[in-house]
Amino acid sequence: MKSILRRSALLSICTTICAAPLFAQSSENTSEAALPRAEDVVAHINSRDEGEAVSRKLSIEMRDKRGKTRHRETRSYRKYYAGEKRTVIFYLSPKNIKDTAFLTYDYNDPEQEDSQWLYLPALRKVRRISASDRGDYFLGTDMTYEDIKLETRVSSADFNFQTIGTCDADDKPGLQIQGTPKSQEIARELGYSKTLSCVDNEIWMVRHSQFWDIKGNLLKTVTISNIEQIQGIWSQQNIDVENHKTGHSTRLIFSEIDYQSPVPEDIFTTNAIKRGL
Amino acid sequence: MRLNADCKNLAVLTFASAKVAANKTSVLIIKSRYLLTAIATIIFAGLGTLHSPVLQAAGLQSSVIASALWSADSGNFKRQNYQFTLEPEFILRFDNRAKLTALSRLRSISLDALSPENVTDNAYSPYSKPLFIGNSSEFELREFYLEIPSENYYFTLGKQQVVWGKADGLKVLDIVNPQSYREFILEDFDDSRIPQWLANIETNIGAWDAQFLWIPDQSYHVLASEGGLYTPTSPLLLPQAPPAGVSVDVEPIERPERLLKDSDIGLRLSRFWKGWDLSLNYLYQYDNFALLYQERSLTAVGPHVTIEPQYRRTHVLGGSFSNAFDNWVLRGELAYFTDRYFLAEGLSDNDGIAKGKEVSYVVGLDWAGLENTLISGQLFQSVALNRQSATVRDKSESTLSLLVNHTLLNETLELRLIWLANSNIGDGLVRLRVSYEWQDNLKTWLSSDTFYGSEEGLFGQFDANDRLTLGIEIGFE
Repeated sequence: MKSILRRSALLSICTTICAAPLFAQSSENTSEAALPRAEDVVAHINSRDEGEAVSRKLSIEMRDKRGKTRHRETRSYRKYYAGEKRTVIFYLSPKNIKDTAFLTYDYNDPEQEDSQWLYLPALRKVRRISASDRGDYFLGTDMTYEDIKLETRVSSADFNFQTIGTCDADDKPGLQIQGTPKSQEIARELGYSKTLSCVDNEIWMVRHSQFWDIKGNLLKTVTISNIEQIQGIWSQQNIDVENHKTGHSTRLIFSEIDYQSPVPEDIFTTNAIKRGL
Repeated sequence: MRLNADCKNLAVLTFASAKVAANKTSVLIIKSRYLLTAIATIIFAGLGTLHSPVLQAAGLQSSVIASALWSADSGNFKRQNYQFTLEPEFILRFDNRAKLTALSRLRSISLDALSPENVTDNAYSPYSKPLFIGNSSEFELREFYLEIPSENYYFTLGKQQVVWGKADGLKVLDIVNPQSYREFILEDFDDSRIPQWLANIETNIGAWDAQFLWIPDQSYHVLASEGGLYTPTSPLLLPQAPPAGVSVDVEPIERPERLLKDSDIGLRLSRFWKGWDLSLNYLYQYDNFALLYQERSLTAVGPHVTIEPQYRRTHVLGGSFSNAFDNWVLRGELAYFTDRYFLAEGLSDNDGIAKGKEVSYVVGLDWAGLENTLISGQLFQSVALNRQSATVRDKSESTLSLLVNHTLLNETLELRLIWLANSNIGDGLVRLRVSYEWQDNLKTWLSSDTFYGSEEGLFGQFDANDRLTLGIEIGFE
């Protein structure tokens, strides 16, 4: 059941992975004095325009180390409200998880725990789920719940960031930022001991990231590509995640991205995830 | 606990079912035509409320799930059953966001003791009854409903399932649709729930979501009939056999048949308030278990008992809540039944039934503190109130449940344990399952269902039916 929970979350992933952790490609360190402060870089990333609302199709391809692949098709919606961000994801295929849906309210107040629900078609029940297991992997992918929640943001509440140099990713120059969890407890919760990211400082998007597990071993590499302006908003259309520990990888493909069509209010309700699309 | 309370009296129905007169069936069929006409009228009236041309289909989706099960006795590995199921589904979408869904099921079973036909088939309404093909197969229109969204309302009209409760393993508020107990509670609820023809109308009243149900379709719980693998034998469910020399006769069951007066009515209000999911529920329904009233008399040839199965109404008032705290989710449901009928103990009651009231509730705690793991515990309790005479069941009955679910290999491998334990009698059921997703739409699983405890208990009565099951499921789109 919990697995299903996680699954759902996945989808929202929308943009994700990029967000939290970043890491470096090749780097050519320059003197720190010439580099912008990490606080400013993080502020730029987190204030980047994501649109008030968006709807999009998300295709997920998962491949294990033997080359076996699985596919998921979803449709997701996200909308910002005064005090929170709401995201809903509907699974469209394959048949065995079709109609599974995930709904989350991500509150601005960091002290307030997110509210999450999962609709399980096999049980025909909307189930309330805990939002605190943020280091768990969702839907069989290589992204954690926290990765999904952050979308394109970076968590300054969990990490201390430091600008450590410049880098290149996808032939674009950028700034290399290192993130270190603020406490051992946070590191355990998230499953990361360090992150290193290459941030495109023209558009303030992370293009490449690496994550180390709590034992200090390289865990994941995330590559964001096919970034384009859609309806005036920079949007990533491909995210590739490679898990070095398991040999498993995940590719997210975003399409039909639409920031302009109205997203109905009542789609972010438990009734809506029960009815499906 | 709902299951205990509900199951009372059932088994005997088994005997009654066989006696439903043929002429009665024909009358029901004629009446069913009127009902179907009424329902069709409602559906088309709903369509009429739509603006644009009604039947402009925008797209048709179709899919099929094929599954096969092989089960064997856990003790001697003797084959228990083969089962093959096909479930085709069609969804027709219209330009105006209306949607028509049709889901059917063709099932074939090798074992006579689990035969689809070997149930109390008088519990089905004539328009919801599956079509039995020979002794081993059945075809059933599981669902057929039209969804019509409009500005302020959302209509779902037709044959469908409505699920209120959120408890795992047993039911407290999930009582809108009746259930098939052909395999006791081993079948998934989605498969064992009996869909009904009904009108489901949802709207908003202030901050509350409101759901109104009108259920003219009178189907009731279906039980395994005599000779079935899961025919109930527990004295909690079945009246004791009369002493030697007492003759017994079972009258045909009297089914409520009035379209309006015998309809079930439901209302549910729900909302999200300060982190809490809350609901208030009301249901005016016929209890889905038949009551086995006894009429005792002295005839020229000796004492005689006539059993007169009947369905009786009850009001149900209830509610539910859930909230998440850190790694924990706390949830609960409560249902209060104004009119409950329990099996009377011995001859303490003239007609064998003791009327009373019942409060049934469940409190559950889910913990997600370990990676890819969910551990959930629940306490179910049922309390019988204001009983007119002594009853076979205890005043208070409790069942504990434990669920442990763990996934591995990027959720392709899933391990699950469900343990249900009744604390009154000390019996229980342990269910283990390992499933593996080989690829999209191809899954296999191995499971075991082990009953234990006294044969007088709800679970212990099936102690001889422990089973291992191997299954495969393939989806086509």
